[in-house]
Amino acid sequence: MTNRTHTATSCESCPAHNAANLMRLGVNMMDYDYVVALTGNPNTGKSTVFNALTGLRQHTGNWPGKTVGRAEGGFEFGGKKYKLVDLPGTYSLLATSLDEEIARDFILFGQPDVSLVVVDATRLERNLNLVLQMIEITDRVVVCLNLMDEARRHGLQVDERRLARDLGVPVVPAAARTRRGLDQLLQVVHAVATGEILPRPRRVRSEPPQVQDAVNLLAGQVGSLFPGLPNARWVALRLLDGDERIAEAVHSGELGDLTRGEGETSRMDLPLKLETAEMVEANRVNSDEVLKTARALRWEVAGDFHERVMVKLYAEAARIADRAASKPSEKPRFDLDQTIDRVVTSRRWGFGLMILLFALVFWITISGANVPSGWLSALLVGTIYPWLHALADLASLPWWLSGLLIDGVYLATAWVVSVMLPPMAIFFPLFTLLEDFGYLPRVAFNLDNIFKKAGAHGKQSLSMMMGFGCNAAGIVATRIIDSPLERLIAMLTNNFALCNGRWPTQILIATIFIGTLAPPYLAGLISALAVVGIAMLGVLLTFWVSWALSRTALKGEVSTFSLELPPYRPPRIFQTLYTSIIDRTIYVLWRAVVFAAPAGAAIWMVANVKIGGQNIAEYLIGFLNPLGVLIGLNGIILLAYVIAIPANEIVIPTILMLTVMVAGSHGAGAGTGVLFQVDQGSTLAVLQAGGWTLLTGVNLMLFSLIHNPCSTTLYTIYKESGSRKWTVVAALLPLGLGFAVTFFVAQVWRLVVGF
Amino acid sequence: MMPSPDPLLSLLLAAALVLMGLALFAPNHGLLSRWRRTRRYSERALLEDALKHLQHFESHGQSSGLHTLAGALEIPVNQSVSVVGRLQSHELVQMEGGEIRLTPVGREYALRVIRAHRLWEQYLAEETGFAEVEWHGQAEEYEHQLTPEKTAELARKLGQPLYDPHGDPIPDWKGEFKPHAGQALTAMPVDTPLRIVHIEDEPGVVYAQLAAEGLSPGMEIRLIESGPKRVRFWVVTGGYDGFEEHLLAPIVAANISVVPVEVQEISHRREQATGFPLSELKVSERGRVLSISPRLRGAERRRLLDLGILPGTAVEAALASPSGDLTAYRVRDALIALRREQTRLIQIEPISEEFA
Repeated sequence: MTNRTHTATSCESCPAHNAANLMRLGVNMMDYDYVVALTGNPNTGKSTVFNALTGLRQHTGNWPGKTVGRAEGGFEFGGKKYKLVDLPGTYSLLATSLDEEIARDFILFGQPDVSLVVVDATRLERNLNLVLQMIEITDRVVVCLNLMDEARRHGLQVDERRLARDLGVPVVPAAARTRRGLDQLLQVVHAVATGEILPRPRRVRSEPPQVQDAVNLLAGQVGSLFPGLPNARWVALRLLDGDERIAEAVHSGELGDLTRGEGETSRMDLPLKLETAEMVEANRVNSDEVLKTARALRWEVAGDFHERVMVKLYAEAARIADRAASKPSEKPRFDLDQTIDRVVTSRRWGFGLMILLFALVFWITISGANVPSGWLSALLVGTIYPWLHALADLASLPWWLSGLLIDGVYLATAWVVSVMLPPMAIFFPLFTLLEDFGYLPRVAFNLDNIFKKAGAHGKQSLSMMMGFGCNAAGIVATRIIDSPLERLIAMLTNNFALCNGRWPTQILIATIFIGTLAPPYLAGLISALAVVGIAMLGVLLTFWVSWALSRTALKGEVSTFSLELPPYRPPRIFQTLYTSIIDRTIYVLWRAVVFAAPAGAAIWMVANVKIGGQNIAEYLIGFLNPLGVLIGLNGIILLAYVIAIPANEIVIPTILMLTVMVAGSHGAGAGTGVLFQVDQGSTLAVLQAGGWTLLTGVNLMLFSLIHNPCSTTLYTIYKESGSRKWTVVAALLPLGLGFAVTFFVAQVWRLVVGF
Repeated sequence: MMPSPDPLLSLLLAAALVLMGLALFAPNHGLLSRWRRTRRYSERALLEDALKHLQHFESHGQSSGLHTLAGALEIPVNQSVSVVGRLQSHELVQMEGGEIRLTPVGREYALRVIRAHRLWEQYLAEETGFAEVEWHGQAEEYEHQLTPEKTAELARKLGQPLYDPHGDPIPDWKGEFKPHAGQALTAMPVDTPLRIVHIEDEPGVVYAQLAAEGLSPGMEIRLIESGPKRVRFWVVTGGYDGFEEHLLAPIVAANISVVPVEVQEISHRREQATGFPLSELKVSERGRVLSISPRLRGAERRRLLDLGILPGTAVEAALASPSGDLTAYRVRDALIALRREQTRLIQIEPISEEFA
């Protein structure tokens, strides 16, 4: 496959990476010999290649565009140390988006020793478009022809020798998921880095015929300004396209710095290269002239110039792909992918299958999580907690310290972990399996029409579904929505998906307030219906708020719709278990713990620190009570929501603790000032002693659905949106809505029922 | 527990609060937005608008006096006197007889404002989701707020565009530009292939009508009938739903500028009348993209290019969504779902089986 190799003998081909420029681009080159840039179209297995080479575990999934930002890793081969820089996945390098600009600038100005392009063998045509653009910029390109296993499965044969000959750069077939071909890939990368192989890319003339004269003129000027520049025509094209970064590089002479170490052939065309101060000065005068020419020429070339370049590139990509890849002469009688697609998106089976699958996922989660949840609770709260107290007594810690640390920080954290961990550890892997298989994009496909009517994207169905597990994870899942407007909508409304932390609250309140209204044999059904009703209300609110947002506050945000349905891939169960637990579960849990610990301390202090004979809690409850009563709740509930903002899981324990403390009934609970939970009968007794009515119960269920997201989620929204404004909106919008709804319900209730 | 407040009273109070909030903060008719609108028309904006008006007249070879200025800015004549006085004191204009003339400095200033205006329109078209009819109004406001640095940054981000979305040239930072070569549609002979190069965005009423017709620069049309009562033409490429016919009053049609399409440019296309929108393609049928409407612009257009959907691309309708509207197409071996509102703006031709 290394047919067009060339063993260099001269020193010219020594590795000459541009350390200074790389440093400026944020790559620390200490202790590394070579830099390899990793590029490729989204969803070509770029992350898989990265992980396989570096041993890091980035989350990979069957979605276009998983890599957000830039990752770096290192590996060693042949006694040399390599740094691998994972650039954003892009379809082209024409710098029309920030991602494309980052990738392009890194390859052009960073001058990595090797630019590795990961190419999806099953979508050769589209991927070659990027390769053709790469080889216009740099010589040192290695193509990794990935997903060869998938190509074979589809009966597709790719002739990598032919491809390498047509492109003029090494092509290595691989299947990164199973690590096949990676050793050879490393060898070739090493050979290119050390100069053993010198790729001679075949550059396409991508300019449309109408502008050839303009390109010739400008390229000639660029060439004489920077003798030895291997890609003068490309630079000329970029200047005609109004690429300011390239114009700057021409102006500052930066492009001239890039001529060494590359393209000696073109350098040989010129007799001698004299670099005197006068030359430099002459260049400067010249560079202004070149830019002036470019500006004048731009008015001459047609307006759709940019697109014509793309058409030309794609035509060339199609030609090369056609020669290299041969499809099976006749269509196989049975195309598995197509058959699955026909079924899962059919009018008759599509929706039913979807509901069945998700019901199954939820059922496994709920029924499977109860047992480990009980164990964890017994262990963390039942065993370790008293044991810690005993230890504190032994060490004779002062009461406030042991209270703060054990009753506050430890207990709240233990509570969150035992409620949160088991369902997430079941839900996320199941979900990830469906994702890995490729089913989830089909769900988005089926549901898009409904979401479209609300001004949203079909993929929001998936972030919403994820939100039923955890809203913070749901927010992260909005990354798959590649349209800014719809992604923002999905983030701002994710909170209306009733998360794992709020289900227990709903179930408890529904059981003791609503279930008890019905005859005993119906109690279970009625309370279950009430909880499902609340969850459905959440879904309705998602649509309604999405609709309202897309027409008001978010009007003017960019919207671009496209939904790629990737081929089905056999899920890798163990890999999925591992990454989804590390990546989603532990990650979310860790953030929750980080937020829950200080909240535990705050709850303890509020309940136990006395000022002038009264707890801080009692002051705050007195202050919040009028508002609470107005909206059919009370001051205790509001205070619980304020101090338990980090995690919805500890709202009920906090309410119980505060109610017992204020009402002074010591019949239930471990003692005042400590979080506790008791059986349903005693809970009802405690709450009724605290003045709760049916209205309080109903409004608590409503408020639990419609209030600000927990601080973990808010932090995630801030991280993902990068915007303070939208984080504030995400907090205040549901809170305001919650107040409005509970207020309205309370007034109408009082008018009709009378109390 | 404390007694709950009277429910009826609370409801009434809340309703009153909501109404008050609406009166204050409603987006267009609220007191706050009205107050901001009056403040917006500041002294600076008035002077800059005056310069723009003078430049506009100058470039059309007309002369401007106090009355035309007052008319253009919708201010009383005595106020236009003070405006001209201010401009004179800054040496931006000079009076020659009853005529107001721009000084070189004044012309440069005017072009800078025009540059900001058109760049902002281009920004709204390419990078936001605002509707066409909102561009001009927003740009009228922003042109006075953009500093030279911000203007340069905007131009850089947009890739130094040459024309705004209406087809007007954007002066570069040196104030240089090349006006479009178009002529009014009403002045063209019938039955020549034409391309729209410019659509005048003032007055707003006329523009709204043109925007509602779905016309935009870049579309190729064929003039069928041109008379004093009506102008009739077909959009050949880039309209909605294929080969569509438009009927306009001459006064509206005069705001469209066109250039004749050179024969060489269309020669690579086969018979154009065979084109139809992608949305018409039935499942398992194949077609080849002829053109993508200029109405698909900005990020949406770039996405299509990224996915490899551009003139010459073969597409096959593969799956229809069970809820309708969405269809998945096989494009360059990938399966890509697009909405109907997009596919009706993509023109294709059928691929006959022998070529397929």
